[in-house]
Amino acid sequence: MDNANPTILTAAQLPTRQSKATKAVVQGPVSQLSELIMRKPKYLSEPFCDVSWHDIREKDNDFTEEPIDEQEIYDLISTISDPEHPISLGQLAVVNLPDIQITPSPSAHSDPDTLITVLVKITPTITHCSLATVIGLGVRVRLEQALPPNYRVDVVIKEGAHSQDDQVNKQLADKERVAAALENDNLKGMLDAMLATCE
Amino acid sequence: MASATSHRRCPPMSSNSTIQLFALPHFKPDLYERAWQSIPHPHAPLIATAHHKSVTIFSLSTLSSHSTLSGGHERSVRSIAWKPYATPNKLCLVTGSFDRTAGLWRWEEEGHSSSDALDITATRDSSSDKEDKDWEFTLVLEGHDSEIKSVAFAPGGQYLATCSRDKSVWIWEDIGASESDDEWETVAVLNEHEGDVKAVAWCPETNRRDKGRYAPDCLASASYDNTVRIWREDGDGEWVCVAVLEGHEGTVWGIAWEPRPEGTRYPRLMSWSADCTIRVWELKEEDEEEDKEPQLQYAWGGLRSIPNTMRRSMKDEWECTDILPKAHTRDIYSAAWSQDSGLVASTGSDGILAIYEEEAAGPGILNGERHATDAEANAELDGDVPMTNRHDATPKKQWYIKTTKPNAHGPYEVNHVTWCKRYDSACPPERKGIEEMLVTTGDDGIVRPWQVIR
Repeated sequence: MDNANPTILTAAQLPTRQSKATKAVVQGPVSQLSELIMRKPKYLSEPFCDVSWHDIREKDNDFTEEPIDEQEIYDLISTISDPEHPISLGQLAVVNLPDIQITPSPSAHSDPDTLITVLVKITPTITHCSLATVIGLGVRVRLEQALPPNYRVDVVIKEGAHSQDDQVNKQLADKERVAAALENDNLKGMLDAMLATCE
Repeated sequence: MASATSHRRCPPMSSNSTIQLFALPHFKPDLYERAWQSIPHPHAPLIATAHHKSVTIFSLSTLSSHSTLSGGHERSVRSIAWKPYATPNKLCLVTGSFDRTAGLWRWEEEGHSSSDALDITATRDSSSDKEDKDWEFTLVLEGHDSEIKSVAFAPGGQYLATCSRDKSVWIWEDIGASESDDEWETVAVLNEHEGDVKAVAWCPETNRRDKGRYAPDCLASASYDNTVRIWREDGDGEWVCVAVLEGHEGTVWGIAWEPRPEGTRYPRLMSWSADCTIRVWELKEEDEEEDKEPQLQYAWGGLRSIPNTMRRSMKDEWECTDILPKAHTRDIYSAAWSQDSGLVASTGSDGILAIYEEEAAGPGILNGERHATDAEANAELDGDVPMTNRHDATPKKQWYIKTTKPNAHGPYEVNHVTWCKRYDSACPPERKGIEEMLVTTGDDGIVRPWQVIR
């Protein structure tokens, strides 16, 4: 374990939005594939989440034109578990609301084909975190599964947080490497465990 | 050179002819999962699409499934290469997989000895029960330590190149006694790249006479290390890197050779990258006759002052002569250079399908005389547009964007584009096998033909 005593935020310190209507989450063919690949055993579904994924799903019928905003992206990824602590990325402040950027800014009536870029800057808990790539991969996979297909997800290490930023950023941006990683049993097992707390 | 360091601020749109793209009905069935690439057969009206652990062969006549290759790989098939010169009624291809292996597959038309194999294969009933039985997985090529990203046959079919995330390029030679005798051996393992090797491509056969050290059997490789490397056989069976092409500022996703060079020029090479640019590279050929007059060499600086024996150490000099006008905002995953028209098509993460053409810079404009304004001249000095180059007496050719099609696969990323001949029923009979179309392959599992209209 690289960092045995990380700073942990309490649930009350995490950014939330009270009584906000949730959005439909579209599942395209690619995310269906990812879902197949990433399917996890039921017994892993432990509630570490302050936002229940099921709640979002059940409200699919109330589909509103409301756009996906930074808070919603945050809610999707803050509940991912750290690969070595049984604590969420939100609580560890690996993902932070101000480090999520949506371009162009969310607007109500955009064309479903218009590309929307989501940039997430992650802050690994220590500078030499060997698992930065795995955490980044978890964030990317989570968002690609959950977001509509016109979203492009860019995950980078926040400047100065990690000593091998460029190397990790390049790996995380490489579609082919990400695809191959999801077919690697060891990595897949790790990602399954990390994402298990999201539902 | 200056032009290699930045791209133009404004994509020039040609004022001359324009090109329009129309989506034709896509191939059936939908694959419903990410498809990586679709490779047309060199002669037969077939196209092979890699998706998940399988390859689906589509007929270009019926735009529907012809056959499927499955069960050979434990992980996704990333790339496909048809073996050139396979005998009639027989098909042969190689698959490169994330499971680290390359597979050789053969398909034989049963009960037909007709020489008219093309029609038979094209119209075969796709619902046939025997569909999957016809492809035989005949050989596994093992050796790479991690995912194979690309496979490519040399034009003669004798050599196969494979490349991998393990940073190596392998060259395999067909040493079988006959076409059906599948025996291959490794002739080279090339380890000079510093990152994943994303693609390999062999120099095409051209009309030019064999010019000494610029002989055929030349391989190019593109890498995660942002470079392209050129490899040649040194005459003693050793494959050596003769050039490193540097300039891209991101992963080089792929390379394509100029399929039909002007006159006897050496084919140029095109490369495309995560840096959203497409570059064109040209070999600076040294005249072999100069070698016979060594005293002349000392009149020049640089390489020419190196003793003759050193210059024989097989180094190519390649130069980036053009950067295509910018059409993309994200990684360019694929581009294709047409043998018939010389048009280039590109696509990628942004879902845009773009077409470019190389044409004279404008009526009556020659090299060195093309600055209408001070601003343009300054732009050239700043390196924003290419400096003048090679043929001083001929009109400068320049690349123009002819059309861009956003959302070629709706909101999805497009992984591959290729030129391919039309055989479908909507094509006029006299144009079948002649008219070119584009085929794009996307994350949506759709394989889509495009009519290209001037």
